Amino acid sequence: MSMRASGRGLFLAVLAVVIGWTAACGGGAKGPAVLHVYTWSDYIKPELITRFETEHACQVVIDTFDSNEAMYAKLKAGATGYDVITPTSYMVSLMKAQDMILPLDHALLPNLVHVDPEYLAIAIDKKMEYSVPYMLTNTGLAYLKSKVENFEPTWAMFGREDLKGRMVMLNDMRETIGGALKYLGYSLNSVNPEELEKAKDVVLGWKKNLAKFENEQYKTGIASGEFVLVHGYSGDILQVQAENDDIAFAMPREGGSLSCDDLVVAKEAKEAKLAHAFINFLHDPDVAAQNTEFIQYLCPNKDAYPLLSEAIRGNGGIFLAPEIKAKCEVLADLGADNALYVKVWDEIKAGK
Amino acid sequence: MKRSRFPYIVTAVVLVFFYLPILILVIESFNASRFGGAWRGFSFRWYARLFHEPAIWQAAKNTLLIAVSVTCLSLILGTMSALALHRFAKSRIQRFHYTLIYTPLVVPEILMGISLLMAFVAVGVRLGMLTIVLAHATFCISYVALTVLGRLQDFDFTIVEAARDLGATSWTATRRVLLPMLAPGLAAAGLIAFTLSLDDFVITFFVAGPGAETLPLHVYSMIKHGATPLINALSTLLLAVTFTTIFLSQRLNKSGALEGGQ
Repeated sequence: MSMRASGRGLFLAVLAVVIGWTAACGGGAKGPAVLHVYTWSDYIKPELITRFETEHACQVVIDTFDSNEAMYAKLKAGATGYDVITPTSYMVSLMKAQDMILPLDHALLPNLVHVDPEYLAIAIDKKMEYSVPYMLTNTGLAYLKSKVENFEPTWAMFGREDLKGRMVMLNDMRETIGGALKYLGYSLNSVNPEELEKAKDVVLGWKKNLAKFENEQYKTGIASGEFVLVHGYSGDILQVQAENDDIAFAMPREGGSLSCDDLVVAKEAKEAKLAHAFINFLHDPDVAAQNTEFIQYLCPNKDAYPLLSEAIRGNGGIFLAPEIKAKCEVLADLGADNALYVKVWDEIKAGK
Repeated sequence: MKRSRFPYIVTAVVLVFFYLPILILVIESFNASRFGGAWRGFSFRWYARLFHEPAIWQAAKNTLLIAVSVTCLSLILGTMSALALHRFAKSRIQRFHYTLIYTPLVVPEILMGISLLMAFVAVGVRLGMLTIVLAHATFCISYVALTVLGRLQDFDFTIVEAARDLGATSWTATRRVLLPMLAPGLAAAGLIAFTLSLDDFVITFFVAGPGAETLPLHVYSMIKHGATPLINALSTLLLAVTFTTIFLSQRLNKSGALEGGQ
């Protein structure tokens, strides 16, 4: 490299940096209000954001996190600047206990009348004091229609010996022990040692028929036909369904687990009012329906349900029948009682 | 004497080990299937989708801006510290400085991320692109300084003295003699800083502020929806850009060398 060439190169690089920074910071100058949303990636339909920006003459900036725990650690260490955040329900409880989120002003949220009361009945924050449910997913059963005869939507399927070695359950103690608790008619969040003991025996019975406990490979396993019945997350199953029409999803009639990401307003939010307007906007039935069609998770908004397409309403992985939803539960943070589950799970893993 | 085939076999095995995964990624980016594994036909659909994702392009722009800034900043500061360390290595305080340069290489990333975040919050700096640049420069300076130090180890300073003897000012001697001789080391150090900044996730996650999302942050978050084919397509594009740049710079260097030789 000759000196002149490298000098020119350096000059160009510095020029590029200066121009880039001017462009990047130019938008930060006094202009329309900016709402900062901290959420999972691809979690709001882009057209809806544009619509909100036009309606409220503001700018929406979206940043993403990849796990509840990482997001919590970052905010706890003092990071600020976010207005609306979408943590999962159990994390909302923790953030509320740590005084990291604002109580919601219902006067600014008229659309909350549309929120599905059947879901609220089983939610953690039933009165929506701090959080508004945004997107629901469930954990249930996926099976191959052509390979499983006489399928019935029940946890008892894992006891069927004719499917021995072709079934997989999740390697997740809360989900799998929870399935057994539901099968026995108990709560998913039970901390009663006797109930847990009975659930352990049920899972040990199922274990004889299972190929393994597994969290990732089951997706490709059912897509390729290696497994015929799996216990899995609806979000995962929906992706595999797009490629293999033979896969169906069902929620066990005894109920199962639901997981919900909630909308909350950060304690230090600069645009708390705009944040409320955003939450209110997302629960407009038309907006909620469009979002559900786009993300393929269910926004629990009862007036949006009639607007959903047949494909969504007919899919057990997205849309739950009311009588089944009533039996589902949200996995709660058990705190110290988690140890009970760890003990039972260890015995299941070690047992024959 | 017959040449041993062993070196060729080892080279082939190493190449396969290093580049087969990348090759698979490139092939998968053209797979119509959303899941790796089953081949469902050749398709550009992921590339088409990629062009309808403004968030990804914004993140890519941020990432490049940060990487170029970090490279410039850490090249200047790192080279200066390398020169100072080399010249005054004997004094006790300088040996302490040498240890300080090493420290960021051994501090765990997560610790560095959290502590930088807490420091920024304590001082009251608004989190954003600037804090990412500062954080990246903090560890990139060490890599630059060590790389340049290595180059200085067998540097013949009598050439600089000769230039001074012939009447060059200190600045001219640095600009016309020292820096050109160090250029290969500087280029290597710059590339290291650039790549480190480009793919850092842990530290960036903590010090990033609202509106300053980088590509690694966005890619990690995409995993929740399992949109991996988009990531494959994006990586393939990045690979293409990198290889083209390296190829072009080599061509330019060659022609520059020819001109200089005439």
